[in-house]
Amino acid sequence: MTTLLRPRLLGVILIAIAFLVAPMLVSGQPYLLRIVTTAAIYAIAAYGLNIILGLTGQLSLAHGAFFGVGAYIVGLATTDHDWSFWTAFVVAILATTILGYASGLIALRTQGAYFAIFTMALGFLIYIIIIRWETVTHAHSGVSGIKLPESIGPLDFSDPVVLYYLVLLFLAGAAYSTHAILHSNAGRSLVAIRTSEDLAKSIGVNVGVSKQLAYTASAGLAGLAGGLFATLNGFIGADSAAIDLTFQFLLFLLIGGMGTVMGPVVGSVLVAFLFEMLQDLESYRFIVLGPIIVLLVIFAPRGIVGYLNEFLSSHRSRRASPPPGRGPDGRGPDGHSGSGTGQDNALDRPHAASGAAATSEGGL
Amino acid sequence: MTPASSSRMRRSFVLVASGSLVAALAACGGDGGGGSSDGETLVIGYSAGISGGAAEYGLNVQNGLQMAVDELNAEGVEVDGKKYTLKLESLDDQYQPSTTGTNAQRLVQKEGAKIVFVPHAGGIKAAQELNTTRDKFLLGAYSSDPDILASGNELTVMIPPSFVSYIDPFIEQLDTKGTGKLGLLTTSSEFGQEWTKAATASWKKAGGTVLDNNNIDYGSVSDFAGPVSKTLAGKPDVILVGGPSQPTALVIEEARKQGYKGAFMIIDQAKFEELEKFTDPKNLNDSVGIAPLTEFDGTEDFITRYQDKFSSDKPVNADIALNYQALPVFVEAMKSAGSVDDPQAIRDAMPEAVKNVDDKFKVAFAPDQISDNGHLRSDGLKAAYRNDKGKYETFPIDQPKD
Amino acid sequence: MTLFIQQLINGLALGGIYCLAAIGLTLVFGVLGFPNLAHGALFMVGGYVTYTLLVDVGLPYVVAIVCAALILAVIGVVFERLIFHPLRNAPHTHHMIATVGVMFFLISLVQEIWGSGFLRMESPFDGRLTVAGAQISSQRIIIIITAMVVLIALTLFLKRSVHGQAIEAIEQDRTGAALVGINANVVSMMTFAVSFALVAISAGLVAPIQLLSPGMGESLSLIVFAIIILGGLGSLPGAIIGGFFIAMAEVMASTYISVGAGQAAVFIVLMAVLAIKPTGLFGTVVQR
Repeated sequence: MTTLLRPRLLGVILIAIAFLVAPMLVSGQPYLLRIVTTAAIYAIAAYGLNIILGLTGQLSLAHGAFFGVGAYIVGLATTDHDWSFWTAFVVAILATTILGYASGLIALRTQGAYFAIFTMALGFLIYIIIIRWETVTHAHSGVSGIKLPESIGPLDFSDPVVLYYLVLLFLAGAAYSTHAILHSNAGRSLVAIRTSEDLAKSIGVNVGVSKQLAYTASAGLAGLAGGLFATLNGFIGADSAAIDLTFQFLLFLLIGGMGTVMGPVVGSVLVAFLFEMLQDLESYRFIVLGPIIVLLVIFAPRGIVGYLNEFLSSHRSRRASPPPGRGPDGRGPDGHSGSGTGQDNALDRPHAASGAAATSEGGL
Repeated sequence: MTPASSSRMRRSFVLVASGSLVAALAACGGDGGGGSSDGETLVIGYSAGISGGAAEYGLNVQNGLQMAVDELNAEGVEVDGKKYTLKLESLDDQYQPSTTGTNAQRLVQKEGAKIVFVPHAGGIKAAQELNTTRDKFLLGAYSSDPDILASGNELTVMIPPSFVSYIDPFIEQLDTKGTGKLGLLTTSSEFGQEWTKAATASWKKAGGTVLDNNNIDYGSVSDFAGPVSKTLAGKPDVILVGGPSQPTALVIEEARKQGYKGAFMIIDQAKFEELEKFTDPKNLNDSVGIAPLTEFDGTEDFITRYQDKFSSDKPVNADIALNYQALPVFVEAMKSAGSVDDPQAIRDAMPEAVKNVDDKFKVAFAPDQISDNGHLRSDGLKAAYRNDKGKYETFPIDQPKD
Repeated sequence: MTLFIQQLINGLALGGIYCLAAIGLTLVFGVLGFPNLAHGALFMVGGYVTYTLLVDVGLPYVVAIVCAALILAVIGVVFERLIFHPLRNAPHTHHMIATVGVMFFLISLVQEIWGSGFLRMESPFDGRLTVAGAQISSQRIIIIITAMVVLIALTLFLKRSVHGQAIEAIEQDRTGAALVGINANVVSMMTFAVSFALVAISAGLVAPIQLLSPGMGESLSLIVFAIIILGGLGSLPGAIIGGFFIAMAEVMASTYISVGAGQAAVFIVLMAVLAIKPTGLFGTVVQR
């Protein structure tokens, strides 16, 4: 067991060290620190999506809008109403959590693709409110002059490095919570729902409550990330609540690995740097990026961390007993994922067949 | 996947993959340090939407700047006795303000740019959160929204004339002179709505009534017929329209087809020369808007040069010309300041430099002064009324004192 | 009153546009079970291909649309083989993400080929009709009629032809269909071909009243998703009723309340319907 844990632990430690020393590595070019900070903030939001999509298997497309609500609450409260950042930040997290809970009461009545589109509509509604309710949100003008967090003792957050470590603290918290959830009874309930709701019900999981909690938590994390995003940028526009943002989080999660502990952060940072390196291609950027996404989905559908986890797990199980003809991309021997009818929209179960095996048993 | 039985291989695989983060950071951290330190290349930064949906505007501005860069290089740039080659470094932000912020920092820190041009209000505001604090850089702000100067940012230079200066002369030019009813049908962007607000106030002051605001997103509405019908139902005498030129042309055409006979007031984002290409020019009669570039003396040469250079047959509009003639002002200011890397000194040298720009870089209403809060201005600004015979009658626009 | 009639007609025309765009999407959704997020981008590609055939090649309007539909059908088969066939057993979230990749790719590709600016496509049908004091252009009448015709033809195709029945069989029960010897590969390719051809037809008809630009499909595709969910997944009558219902709500709310209300109406209607009936108006299949 210990020999098996080592590579995983090693990976986590390496990533942690990389994050801790990042400000030293990029000193002299603070814009790189800004990119890493932004990526870390996006990763926090991606952890939120990971709870509802990666663990529970429900695709919430309102995620970017919750992020925007958090950003706007911090933005408007610290400028127009002159609150301190910390008060506004706490209110932003609470408000998005409550919003998530309230909307979840209705949204979670729907399932599968209906849930996805319902949340997409919810996201759009929030976006429309932001760009149309001018007296409150300044609509298209956006919000400028958002406060930086006030100093706490010797910690001066106007220094980007200190702000970075603040973000890192929340990121570590999000990663640890994911780890804790995954290894708790609640986490096992969520994974059971992802695999099959009917099955989960039959083994006594309270599906409704579990989904409600997962959705609420995911909204809260998005709001938290949004609040940090507002303070980092100093200016926010309505684009910080747009559906494109949701797709971006989805991309991070997919590349990193859905339902894994380290997937969101690996995905966010890698994509951030990929985007940055492809900047030199200018308008050709997306001609390259599009096929990269497609190739990733076809050849590494479980994401980088998912792939590594499986690599390690399959190795372990191969020693014990060889798995019956299960390919690397999670296809079962019957050639179908999930129930194999294809009719019931496996939209609501990201990696129905073998995903649970690698991720629920102590994956990264 | 071939079975990898060697545990050494497995470990190294994990190491390589999870350590890629460190490598990526180290690689990116290492390749900087170029930029202006070698004393040869002088980078001018630019961040705008140059891919995706609304890229044409961003590319137009980019071409205008590129043309100025090439022509300045051809005649040689010398600051404080040292020769420089200008280089325009463009980054794509898809008009997302937060990306503009990152891009501006990258341009300053990695490419060594001290001047960054941004042609959209959101991006300008995001860059203003950065340019006077940690990274000092001069912001070439191309947006006619006066709001960008409201924050009192010392390192912002506003390039185009403020749209506010057009409103009263526009109203004055139309037969109704601000009495009667004004219909509102501009695009729902920030810019369109700022225009709408200012025009509403002026129209009311002149004694007229203003109908419902039927703004729509010109870029995404599937069918303009509904909003146009609703506007016409209020029986307006004048309709305020405008957004990107091409959809504006469709809105005007739809209104004419539904039987509207009144006048149009067109916001400065839409350009007559482009509108003409997208609808029967007759539909545009009885409209007031900014003057086509061809209505200014001596612009033929610039238009031909531009079209040859970029082998383009599209109309050459004011967005291109204004950025083309703005860049030499910045370069002249570097010469006057004797510095290529002190944004404050460059900004301080501008009032003097703006008078020294070579005439060949002046296309139309070229700036000859800069206000204290950083607005490039000229006395030669004109607008145009397109009469019922399809002829443009130009009239001067006085710029208000800031 | 004239305003009401005018807006009723405008709402019908907008509904026609939405329906035409929705039909191709609901087909893929019904058969393959995932929403094609690149649908809007394909709508745009269909528009540009039609434009090139019309303007650069010089084909007559209707011929150009038919040829564009054929070209898009071929592209559909190619995409099915290259992307969705390798993914056939993967979870549907992966299909969706792949379609996002396709969307990025198509938008950039079109920008490189045709430029980033707007293009205007003229239709030969530019007359106008006056009905009870209200106006409607011929192009919009054609859109409404075509939406109806395409819908009836598609229903007949699904119910009467062998290929169509194969599609329906797969839609209802994939395993059962395989047992009776229906080749899922062929059906999948055919679904993509038909769906892509339909999207080209809608783009060819709608483009003359809009403008062509690389971003033209983005906003439309979101509304189209709302429509097919409102009607119930994979339900053709649902898509039609959903399309007209949402268009009417949009036009009337923006006329009698405010433009912001019009924009929001689509999503409010959708959320209200799903809150009451979580499987859409005509959805019978309970998602498991």
